[in-house]
Amino acid sequence: MTLAVRGSWFAVRCAFVVLLLCGRAFADAAAPPDVLVSRQLLAKAHLKVGDVVTLSGDSAGSRARRFRVAGVYEPTPDPMKFNAERIEARLHLDDMLALTEDPADPSTSDAVSVINVTLPNAADQSSARTFSRSLSARTPFVVSAATADADNATFVVIDRFHTAIAAVTVIGSTAFLLALMVIRAEERKETVGVLRLIGISRKTIMTEVVVEGLLVAVAGAAAGVLIAAAAQGAVNRFFQHRYDTTLIFMRVSPKIALRSIAVAVPVGVVAGAVASWTLLRRGASSLVRR
Amino acid sequence: MTAFALAWRTARRYRARAVLAVVGVAVIGALNFDMLMLSRGLLLSFATMINSTGYDIRVAGASTLPLSRSPLTDATTLMNEVAALPEVDAVALIRTAGAVLAAPGRPPEGAELIGSTDPAGLGIWKQATGGDLTSAPNGATASAVISRPLAVRLGLSAGSTISVRVRIVDSLSAMPPVTLRVAGIAEFPFESQQASIVATTMDGFKAAYGGVLNDEASFMFARSRPPAGAEAAADAINRLRTDIHAFSNEQVIANFGRNAFTYFRQISVVLSATTAAFSMLLVATLLTVSVNQRLGEVAALRALGISRRRIASTLLWEAALLVGIGGVLALPLGELLATVLDKILRRMPGLPSGLHFFIFERNALVLHAAVLAVTAVVAAMYPVWLAVHLPIAQTLRQEVS
Amino acid sequence: MSGSGDVVVAQALSRVFPMAAGPVTAVREVSLRVDRGDYIAIGGPSGCGKSTLLHLLGCVDTPSSGTVRFEGRDVGALSDSERGKIRLTRIGFVFQRFFLLPMLTAWENIELPQSEAGVPAAERRARTRELLEYVGLSARAEHLPSQLSGGEMQRVAVARALANRPALLLADEPTGELDEATGDHIAALFDRVHADGTAIVLVTHNASLAARAKTRRAMRSGVLE
Repeated sequence: MTLAVRGSWFAVRCAFVVLLLCGRAFADAAAPPDVLVSRQLLAKAHLKVGDVVTLSGDSAGSRARRFRVAGVYEPTPDPMKFNAERIEARLHLDDMLALTEDPADPSTSDAVSVINVTLPNAADQSSARTFSRSLSARTPFVVSAATADADNATFVVIDRFHTAIAAVTVIGSTAFLLALMVIRAEERKETVGVLRLIGISRKTIMTEVVVEGLLVAVAGAAAGVLIAAAAQGAVNRFFQHRYDTTLIFMRVSPKIALRSIAVAVPVGVVAGAVASWTLLRRGASSLVRR
Repeated sequence: MTAFALAWRTARRYRARAVLAVVGVAVIGALNFDMLMLSRGLLLSFATMINSTGYDIRVAGASTLPLSRSPLTDATTLMNEVAALPEVDAVALIRTAGAVLAAPGRPPEGAELIGSTDPAGLGIWKQATGGDLTSAPNGATASAVISRPLAVRLGLSAGSTISVRVRIVDSLSAMPPVTLRVAGIAEFPFESQQASIVATTMDGFKAAYGGVLNDEASFMFARSRPPAGAEAAADAINRLRTDIHAFSNEQVIANFGRNAFTYFRQISVVLSATTAAFSMLLVATLLTVSVNQRLGEVAALRALGISRRRIASTLLWEAALLVGIGGVLALPLGELLATVLDKILRRMPGLPSGLHFFIFERNALVLHAAVLAVTAVVAAMYPVWLAVHLPIAQTLRQEVS
Repeated sequence: MSGSGDVVVAQALSRVFPMAAGPVTAVREVSLRVDRGDYIAIGGPSGCGKSTLLHLLGCVDTPSSGTVRFEGRDVGALSDSERGKIRLTRIGFVFQRFFLLPMLTAWENIELPQSEAGVPAAERRARTRELLEYVGLSARAEHLPSQLSGGEMQRVAVARALANRPALLLADEPTGELDEATGDHIAALFDRVHADGTAIVLVTHNASLAARAKTRRAMRSGVLE
């Protein structure tokens, strides 16, 4: 079971505020409990491992407690928080509750914001939904939802957005490709005319065009995938530097490479064939006439 | 015959490739135009939303984030003090809490309960159907205005009643449900499209807590009184207490611009640059192949004494025609594409329903035109160089052999 | 030294082309003088340097050594734009493959060099009409090259070459792509041009065309005999 803090849409709600920085640890009668800080917090507050810091649950600094920085961690890259500065720390649950409890309400010492549950068959989203619904029925004051429904929706949207842009780019490129193929076909007008005049059939010429187009399209698609693979390094470096995160923004996976080739090759072949067909359907003599 | 006329004739002569090139430029240009709209779309949309609330100042608990909901303590006293300022015309307190709606035969549904001292709900909701919070024929039951998705899901309309149980965070205590009468249905532009919202008066909000509630507010709206202006009013409010922070709408918008959705600004810059470079490459390739096909013609023209300048300007006009016509067609195509892309992106969970990603502004149009102009010139550079530097005699020999 | 009657004087012209397999001398120490009213036909086997010589005389190419003086001016000392101006206004070129602009009509192809030379519109119209009549194609003025036969296209090319009233007409295999009968028509056209006072230098394999020239020269391995 892990404790998660939920943020509002426009701001990250901070559960605690670092108030003071200490350069050296003092030997308390009871050694202060440990806290882990994020790399970003370590750098921003100029801390180092072993420092003793004071944490409080509110900005007024009430009921502040001292903690020892036991270590630093790299926050798990969270696509939902990639543009947020990861100024955060991790405490033991009882320390956290001690910081945030309301003395007027004893029950707050045993209350959490969210409980995350991992089921034995974690990959099965329908079981998660079933469990979530049954939990809602048994505990009417608790709202539960399968994480697949909550978190993945954002990336489904982003995926659709990128796919739409890719589709538009393919359509635009296809228009240009067709224009180039038309020019190439015109360049070969006389050659095609002569071949037809000496008796070579349309089918043979078209086969040659298709095979040539296939070779060029495969080579072009492969080159495109290689260029994309090289570009992904630059894109990831740019965004990782910009947002100080280790998140991967772009990845040319084998599936994506295959999908690109599966789109590019037929488009290339068909464009060449269509352009050549506009020549082949004309009479041979009109092709060789100046 | 002018260079433009020659270029036009060339485009007409090679109609198929010209039409295809124009279509290609139009499609890629539409994408580029959309990315230019995307770069500031969210900010403009948010600014429109904020500026149409009827208030021009937002007050939060002492925090550097204007849209945070760190609570304002002694809220009533603060409201009175702010209302008494000569720079301030109107004030409203807003309080929010998580709630659960109980309906017979249905699983409990999470909702957000909003309490406002402004019965018209300025700044929070826009009335769609029914009445606002002032219409309460039965004084014993507080009125509520609910969001449309909630109304549709639970089959509610004006006159219906709903049972709301407020959720108390960090506590095992539970409040009894309170019955609210639905006065009307409203749009909540700052909440997500499918959000379940129940907005009521501050008395109704207090009733949900059993009538016992600390004097806090999630945030406060204020409207400046002319001629003071929002900045002066915000400064005056900030001087009242040290544990609050007042932001003018401009400051809220500026903060939004710095912190929210920067991914889309970045991606729009990357995609704008990529599509522009892509267009340049494609037009340049097309023109180069076209020139290579006509080298004999070009060499003959040079041999006849047609100047390099005339040949260069003809090619530049060819590029300008392709890119120019395509660029103009890109505008309506871009608007259509933007509608589709906006629809896709607005499905993002938690996105305020009033927010749009693609907003037309004149700057985007000007930038689009500038990008096209640069594209045409840069794309023509290599083919022009090719044409004006080709060795005339050698080319003529090659054409004959 | 050039006299007042010469149009172009070539002195010890050579043109060497650097090739991967070694330099090739296309034109070797050629001296030639073309006077006003001359009609010179240069013949020779393929690859002997005839076209290269024509390009050198027409300021299309620059010699590796030697000089070309056009109407008394040393072409080698001129800038590229000045050479272009000479080609536009003082020389007319007729090519084997016509090289008409396919998107312009016969009228527009003939008008183009005049427009480039800054001739006023009214004068251009008059001259173009005159030239179309001269070559017998008044009825085909609005036709595109694709709508003309080979002979008709070459006649338009001749008219275009004469548009700015050049002192010298250079023709590179003008009947190379035409049948014999059509070639004879073109040859007759050249006779008229010559009779009207334009100097002509043409390169040809066509014996009957060459026979009409006042002077016949042969070229072999870059040397003009």
